[in-house]
This record gives sequence, C-alpha cells and structure tokens, in this order.
Amino acid sequence: MRLRIFFSTLLTALLIVSCGGGNSGTIDGRAAEIYPPGAEKCADSNGRTVTIYSGRTENLINPVLEAFACETGTNVQVRWGASTDLALLINEEGDKTLADVFLSRSPGPVGYLESKGLLGTIGSETLGLVEEQNRSASGKWIGFSGRKRVMVYNTDEYSPEDLPDSVFDLTGEEYRDKVALPATNGSFIDWFTVFMDVHGKDVATKWLEDMVANGAKYYPNNRSIVEAAGRGEISMGLVNHYYNYQIKASEGASHKAENYDFDNDDIGSLLVITAATILDSSENVEASEDLLQYLLSAPVQQYFTDRTFEYPLAAGVQANETLPQLTALEIGSVDFDKLGGGFEEASRIIEASGILNR
Amino acid sequence: MSQIEIRRSSPITLRVIVYGLAFLFSFPGLYLIWRNFTEESDPVGLIKTQRVLAPLWRTFSLALTVSLTAACIGTMLAWFTSRTDMWGNRLWRILLPIPLVFPTFIGAAAFIRTMNPGGLMNRMLDGFGIETVIEMRGFFGAWLVLTLFCYPYVYLPVAARLRQLPQSLEENARVLGQSAFQTFGRVVLPQIGSILAAGSLLVFLYTISDFGAVQLMRYDTLTRSIYTNRLINQPTALALSLLLLLLAAVIVLSERFFSRVTFTSEETFTGDPVIYPLGKWRIPALITVVITLLLSVGAPMLALGDWAADGISRTTRGGSPLTIDRGQVLESTWNTLSVSVVAGIVAVLAVLPIAFLVSRYRSRSGTFAHAVVIATFAVPGLLIALAMRFWILRTDWAFDLLDNTKALLVFSYIVRFGSLAMGIVLVAVAAVPKKLHDVGQTLGTKRTPRFFRIDLPLMAPGMGAAAGLVILSTMKELPITLLISPLGFSTLATRIFSSFEDAFVAEAGIMAVILVLLSFVLTWFLVIRKADHL
Repeated sequence: MRLRIFFSTLLTALLIVSCGGGNSGTIDGRAAEIYPPGAEKCADSNGRTVTIYSGRTENLINPVLEAFACETGTNVQVRWGASTDLALLINEEGDKTLADVFLSRSPGPVGYLESKGLLGTIGSETLGLVEEQNRSASGKWIGFSGRKRVMVYNTDEYSPEDLPDSVFDLTGEEYRDKVALPATNGSFIDWFTVFMDVHGKDVATKWLEDMVANGAKYYPNNRSIVEAAGRGEISMGLVNHYYNYQIKASEGASHKAENYDFDNDDIGSLLVITAATILDSSENVEASEDLLQYLLSAPVQQYFTDRTFEYPLAAGVQANETLPQLTALEIGSVDFDKLGGGFEEASRIIEASGILNR
Repeated sequence: MSQIEIRRSSPITLRVIVYGLAFLFSFPGLYLIWRNFTEESDPVGLIKTQRVLAPLWRTFSLALTVSLTAACIGTMLAWFTSRTDMWGNRLWRILLPIPLVFPTFIGAAAFIRTMNPGGLMNRMLDGFGIETVIEMRGFFGAWLVLTLFCYPYVYLPVAARLRQLPQSLEENARVLGQSAFQTFGRVVLPQIGSILAAGSLLVFLYTISDFGAVQLMRYDTLTRSIYTNRLINQPTALALSLLLLLLAAVIVLSERFFSRVTFTSEETFTGDPVIYPLGKWRIPALITVVITLLLSVGAPMLALGDWAADGISRTTRGGSPLTIDRGQVLESTWNTLSVSVVAGIVAVLAVLPIAFLVSRYRSRSGTFAHAVVIATFAVPGLLIALAMRFWILRTDWAFDLLDNTKALLVFSYIVRFGSLAMGIVLVAVAAVPKKLHDVGQTLGTKRTPRFFRIDLPLMAPGMGAAAGLVILSTMKELPITLLISPLGFSTLATRIFSSFEDAFVAEAGIMAVILVLLSFVLTWFLVIRKADHL
C-alpha cells in the first residue's frame, strides 16, 4: 500500500516536472538570438514546406530552423538522425524520399549520395556565398560551418609546451601508448582521406601503421576520447575541436582536458566542413534554396560560432574569439571534391592498419 | 506426463493468419536476401576470409558467454524474489527489470564513466585511499555490461513462471527432507527449463545484434564490421548482415529442437506458490541482489544522475541554459509511453496465434513462423528500419496507407521485438492444462468462450511479462524510431541520442533519468501488479 502511494506521488511529480513551456506563433529562447531584434511575431505562412533530414543534432540546429520558419513563414519538418544512417535511408527511399534538404556532419555521407546520383544542383546565388574550396565544384553540395581537428590532452599530465608541433611527431617514443584515435568515426575518416590526398597515400599509411606500432589506442568516437582524456584514462587524442567546449561547460573543473592546436600548416589542424545539399527529387527547390541561404546568413553564421563553437564559412563573419585561429591550409588548399572516391580507400587502410583491435 | 497425444489438424483460419504473420515478420530477412542479390555481394566468398571469421567467432563467443551468465543470474534472482522470504522482495521486483530500459549507447557510456580509471567510482574510492585499476573494455567490458543489461530477458519470464508452478511436487520434495536448494535443482529447474531456454536465447540474439555496447567497449564483433562498412562498402555490410541472420537461424532452430526433446509439457497452477525460508542463506542472497542492482542500475544511474544534477544546478546558478524545454520533454515522454504501450499490447496479440498453432497443434508451419519471429531479433535495428522503408516504398497501397504514420512505427517495433513476446507467450499457452480444455469441451462450451474463460486467465501472467518486455525495450529503441517515425515525432530515446551526440550531457542525463523513472512506474503497473493479482 505504501508502495502504491509512493508511485502515485512519483507519477504526479513526473507530470508536474514535465508540464509547462511549448510556445507557438512567437519566438523565444535561442532561436530569438538569430531572429532580428524587435521582431516578436512570426511571419504568416507562405504556403511553402521544406522537409529536412538532419545529421546535425537537434540541440544545435533546431533554433536555426525555428528562426527560419518564423522569419519566412515556411513550414519546416525535420527527421533527426546520424548522418550515415540518414544517407542510407535516402538511398533506400530513392526518388520517393520525403527529404528536400539533407544536412550532414561531414562530407562523407554527402559524397555517397552524390555517387548514387541522388543530388540536385544548387543555384549559383547560393553557391556564391562561400569560398570555392568550401563547396562542390559540381554544385551538388555546400559547406555551412567548419570544425577543426585538434588534439585534446589531459592537463594533469601535459602542458602545451610539451606537446609536438605536428601529428608526425606522435609516432615518437615519448608518445608511446599515449594517443587515442577515433578510427571508425566519420570525421576521422574524412580527415585521413585529406591526409592521403595532401601527403600521398604511402606517407599517410606509414604514419597510421607507425601510430599503431607506437601503441595508439582506438576509441569509437570523438566524445568518448574527450571524456577519457578528462578523466585521465588516456593522455591525448585526435578529435574535433568543439566537444571539449561542450563537456567543459557541463562538467566544470572535474574535466581535466584542453584542446591543443598543432602548427599552422600541419595536417593535424585541418578544418573539416559540415555540408548541406538539396535532393534531386525535391519539389520544394525554392524553399530549400532559401533555407541554404539562411544557413549562410550573417546572424546564423554568428550563432554557429558563438553558440556551437564552430567556424563560420560565409564571408564577413568572424570566428568566436575563444576558438583557435584558422591558418592558410585550413581555409585554402584542401579540395573536398577530390575526397568523394577516397573514403572507401581510407577506410580500407584504417581497417588494415589493425588500429581497431588496439 | 504420459498423456496420449491426439494430433488434431489445425483450423484453416488460424493457419492462414499465421502464414500472414510469418510473412510480415520476414520483411527484414527478405530485404537482406534481396539486397544481397541486387548489390551482387558475395557472402559465401566472404565467409572464408579472416576478416569475417575472427569477428564472427568473437560475436559467437561473446553471445554464448553473456547468455549463460545472464541465464544463471536471471534465474537466481527470479527464484530469490518470487519464491523465498527474502527481505524487500516487492522492491527488488520493481527494480530488477530496470536495466532493460537503458539504451546501450548511453548506458554503457555511463557505466564507463562511473567505473573506469578516473571515473566517479575511482574518485570516491580514492577518497578512502583505495586504488582501483580495472578498465572496462574489450571482451570483459562487453560481457559485463551486456550481462548486466540483458539478465531481465531471463529474469522476467522465469519469475512469472515460478509464481505459477504446482505446489504439490515441491511440497512432496520438502516433506521428503530435501533442502530448498535441492528442491530447486531437482523439482523446479526441470519445470522452468523451456522458459529459461527461451529467455537465454533472447539474450544470445540481442548480444549478436548489439552495437552500442560493443562499440564503446571496443570489442570487434560482426555488428561493428557491419556498421563501419555500411556506407563505404555496402555489399560487404549486407553480406555480413545476412551471415548474422543465418547464425541466428541456426541457433533458434537448435534451441527449438533441444527444448522439444528435453522438456515435457509444463502445466500451470493458480494459487499461492510455495515460499521457502532462506535461513542462513538470507544474507548471501540479499548481497547478490544488491550487488547486481548496484552494478546494473546504480553504476549507470550515478553517472546519469550526476550529469542531470549538474545541468539543473547550472541553470539555477544562472549558467548557460539547457537546450530543451519542459514542453519538449513532456511531449517526448508522452510519445515514448503511448507508442511503447501500444507496441507491447499489439506484439503479444500478434504472436498469440503463432503460439497457439505451435503448442496446440504441433504444426510445422507454426514452427516455421516461430523461428522467423525469433531469429529476426538478431537483425540490428538499423537494418530493420531500412527494410521496412524499402518494402513500404515498393507497395503503392501500403505507401499511401502507412507512409509517415505511427502505425508503421508500431509495426516496425513489433517486427523488431515480437520475439521478446514469442517465447513467453508460447510457454504460457503450453501451460494451460489440457484437462481443463477437455472438461470445458465435455460441458459443451464453445471454442471462443472457452478461450476467454479458461485460457486467458491462466495465460495472463505470462502475457503481462511478455508485454512488459516489449514495452521496456521499445521505450529505449533508437534506430527504428529515428528513421521510421513520422516527421517531427520524438521520444525520450531520440532526444537522449540527439543531446548525447554533441556532448550535451546534462540534457541527456535529465532525459535518461526520466526514462528510468517512467519504466519504474510502468513496471509496477504492468508487470508486477498483473503478475501478482491475476
């Protein structure tokens, strides 16, 4: 009987905790940061709909989509998921897909859809919003934010002076058994593909084999490396820059890890872009183009850099001052177009290196 | 036990229904075969390579170890909590199914955060001057986490069965001077054999389908090869998936064969079961239960609760606000609850005809349908989602009717988790004594009233446990929910995923805690109360 009362109370508490919130017709919260100041009412419906499959997560992107819906009156529908799984889904769905726009965390899944012939061509007005190297030459996809590769390290064990200038130094004896690699993670594979492109396949393969011989450890993703470095389980690892910002924000002083930026033109500090694309089967091309342009508008790019700690790609927006400076290699010389065919080879080399069993 | 079997031919409508169900449940299998064909993959050539044999062996050995351990722990816990005078039994019964509800990707991550070097547990022990160096990873880590999260697949059905066994045999054994443990080994164990086998089979199949835990524990199984190859080398991923399904089919068929030759019919009994005094075993038994709960529920909850508490205190201190609001949480909670309860109930109803055909009529088509339903459990959720999408898009009327609806989502859940209900419902149907049926028939009662008056009340505890298993598993389901749900539909699991992906751990923690509380309440309403009072 006492148990029954306990559970009824628990259920009621649960309902009370969950009640409240949920507005419509007006804009609030983080979306309001993007929307022009002073405007409080949303635009009337413009009769358009755009359906998005988003591999970028809801917590980061939804405020942007809410602001877009409010400002333009477009009806926005979203399916959230992992970029790779959504790309596979779109492939199964073919021209019957509900998706008009696909947002990917990295170029890989977009390249896959391009190879299947499922992507439409983006208008030149939209493409012109970013530098040439941050979009596909075929006009099939466009970058809308950047993430930098860095090395996260445990601050109890290392200080920045003791860390190397280049990823090539990590194969040295002083880093034996110290470094973690997220070898099956999409952004690592993307990075390794560029590595192969810039330094040649043999150099890249040799580096990875040397890393394995030097006792590099495998972790499944960036987040688990950043967490492990924060606990002191590992000394350092190659990751995307922004996870450490998020985890530090929520864990505070008990998280003992910082980002380390390699030398300016080292491959270890590459900028990897997130990509947007319009499906060939889309019947809402205009609304889709509007959305892509919105993603590259100044307030949204500002939001990306201030709130999600990413690098803006549209001209005229400065990166948040807490982010490491970008250098020549990062904004200039990498041609993401070339990567299309490289992913499969990169994955094969990664698998053959034996890192996955370390 | 020496009854004469009268082989009756099954009603044609029942057979037609079962064929239909078997067809629906075979969607993922047919999809895999078809896609292997269209992608011109080469599963036969692949199987000879070391690249496949090594992960295949790791998958098999992990699944075997996990299922054996889970069988022992699950049975022991079920016996302690439902048949002994152990202290706190009502509470343990509500807590013990909880591990089922942790999505493995966050459950395993939380477990690592508590237990690994530098984790919460380490820091606490360090405070007492104790140093621990056990790192959860590889085979050991995957085995431990999967056992801790999977034992309820055994515990729930075995506990339901234990409460239904006839008193007479056990009382006789006791009168003849057997101890409680001897009685368990000689009298009880043979009677719960088939449900125990069915539960362990589920653990085995779940383990081979799991990706979240093996990935985080860095143990290289077949599913990991499937996931790493899924985009860059589709033919290989598809061929590997087909091999996974074949492995499952072999295991399922051998379990069926083994169960049939080993266990005789087990009849049910209503009334109060025998309760054993534990005596000097009271303390060790209690310690076993508490340690299991501390590891399986306590360790992940410590990390999740810590994240959640940090998040809540951060916002009250005026730090950066949470990225979710109450309206969203309420909506996801309601979605989780409603969709999983519907899936649980429909899943039990869907497997009922198959169970009837198998146990009452010993029909070959029934056995086939049963194997299809169970083996499908080994197919990873992602492939089930893709398969459902694939078939719906190729059938015009189904597309018009089902595309972008919750009905398709529930249908997919049932294909994924129908197996959880199948084994238990089968035993529940088999447990209805034939004598009662014959009496009913002699008294002139027709088939339908007979079903409602005789069968249903006797099967209710088993059906409750079956629905409970499906509900708890659906609540945490991720890949199907992400890919099949109507646009804009979110559950607690999808929001946990979304938050956790980009390291919004406070939000993920809060929603995981809500998910656990919700399952707590549901377990009480649906499993415990039903099983106790019906």
